Amino acid sequence: MPEHILEIRNIHKRFGTQLVLNGINLDVSEKEVVTIIGSSGSGKTTLLRCLNLLNEPDDGHIYFLGADLMDPKTNLEQLRMHIGMVFQSFNLFNNKDVLENCTLGPIRLLGLSKESAEEKALLFLSKVGMLEFKDANVNQLSGGQKQRVAIARALTMSPRIMLFDEPTSALDPEMVGEVLTVIKNLANEGMTMVIVTHEMAFAKEVSDRIVFMDQGVIAEMGTPEEILVNPKEERTKAFLRRYTQD
Amino acid sequence: MNLFISLPPKDEFINTILYLIEQYSGFFIRGVLITLLLSVVGTVGGFILSLFLTVLRTQEIDERRDSLMTKVLKKTGHIFSSIYITVFRGTPMIVQAMIFYYGIAPLRLSFWTPLVAGLTVVTLNTTAYIAEVIRSGINGIDKGQMEAARSTGFSRSQAMFLIIFPQAIRNSLPAIGNEFIVNLKDTAVLSVIGVFDLFRATQSATSSNFRIVEGFFIAALIYLLLTYLTGKAVSALENKKPLKRVKANA
Repeated sequence: MPEHILEIRNIHKRFGTQLVLNGINLDVSEKEVVTIIGSSGSGKTTLLRCLNLLNEPDDGHIYFLGADLMDPKTNLEQLRMHIGMVFQSFNLFNNKDVLENCTLGPIRLLGLSKESAEEKALLFLSKVGMLEFKDANVNQLSGGQKQRVAIARALTMSPRIMLFDEPTSALDPEMVGEVLTVIKNLANEGMTMVIVTHEMAFAKEVSDRIVFMDQGVIAEMGTPEEILVNPKEERTKAFLRRYTQD
Repeated sequence: MNLFISLPPKDEFINTILYLIEQYSGFFIRGVLITLLLSVVGTVGGFILSLFLTVLRTQEIDERRDSLMTKVLKKTGHIFSSIYITVFRGTPMIVQAMIFYYGIAPLRLSFWTPLVAGLTVVTLNTTAYIAEVIRSGINGIDKGQMEAARSTGFSRSQAMFLIIFPQAIRNSLPAIGNEFIVNLKDTAVLSVIGVFDLFRATQSATSSNFRIVEGFFIAALIYLLLTYLTGKAVSALENKKPLKRVKANA
């Protein structure tokens, strides 16, 4: 049995009267890449944001490396350091330059010296192809460049798992490729990841497992073959039909 | 004093102005310096105090994780800051000056002069206004900034100090500059408790010769010059472009 990095047990989440997550159960193993697909409003982004408690589920349990994030006594900040997150809208710190974005967490939270934090940051910036922009103001970067810096920023915290919330949805089409390439490389290196995406070809290529969500529940889950090529559920087929027509 | 110039006839507007400047330049200079002192101390002090107020009012209560004590303290901070801001923005500074000066004067504290009372009142008053400016600056920051900081592992207050406040303050600088301009003009009301600012200096300069219009015409020109120059400085601040440029060293 591979070690489970993340175990999600029966979580529910309401926004007002609307039930967005209705009893989600999901395990993520070490080095596994899980992709969540589904139409908008299916709850996939909410589920991802629940995994580091940016959205707090109403009930249920989320075990990260054995510790329950939902336990009020859990040190949430301590655990979040090991859960990297990449947002649709990048969210780079606007008052910091590229390098500072990547060293702030390691210096302040991991206690690294400025020198070793910078060394680490430069390593990951070169990995995402952004080394030459290390002194740039973040507002001068294109969307694809910002997202690659955001990935490097998350990696400098040495996370055990990376969460991606529609990382290419806010990008111009010509920049999607450069970001997906970075994520694929991470997958090949064995990074554990949960990815919410609309890029079906990418999902098929990168995923060990695909989760199809519909109306707040996991409607179907399986290998890329099982979900994208031979779906069993009628609503999965309907979603994929709609999707290929678009 | 120049004894060769005597008070010109009443219908000689320009000559009267020159006479007043000649005779009372010391008054005007002292008045301007006091007005500047009140405005600078009020704005800088108000800015610093407003940061404390902002910290108090931006505390968020975490229903599940905060202890009862923490919740009570945070709630108390919210209530204090909201009462403070309502009271100081909802009453005229001239009234605040009367209450503070004459309220504390009976204690016979040797340092409680009109000037010290005036500096206190303008600072406390400006604090409330700048706190509102910074609040709207914080509201203007994309919530993704906080989310990125929290997801990295920063606590809410670390995120505020490292990420949110620096951006909010920078965006608020022009509005804080405007508070300085407001103070240049509005500190005139502090003359009511005897602060020797530009307004009171002008009153003194015209008290024996009754050339009130000419005297306050001079005061108006000085006020206008101060606010005009400060306004220019503020808009220069507003147009300031991002500091860092990309170095293409690849």
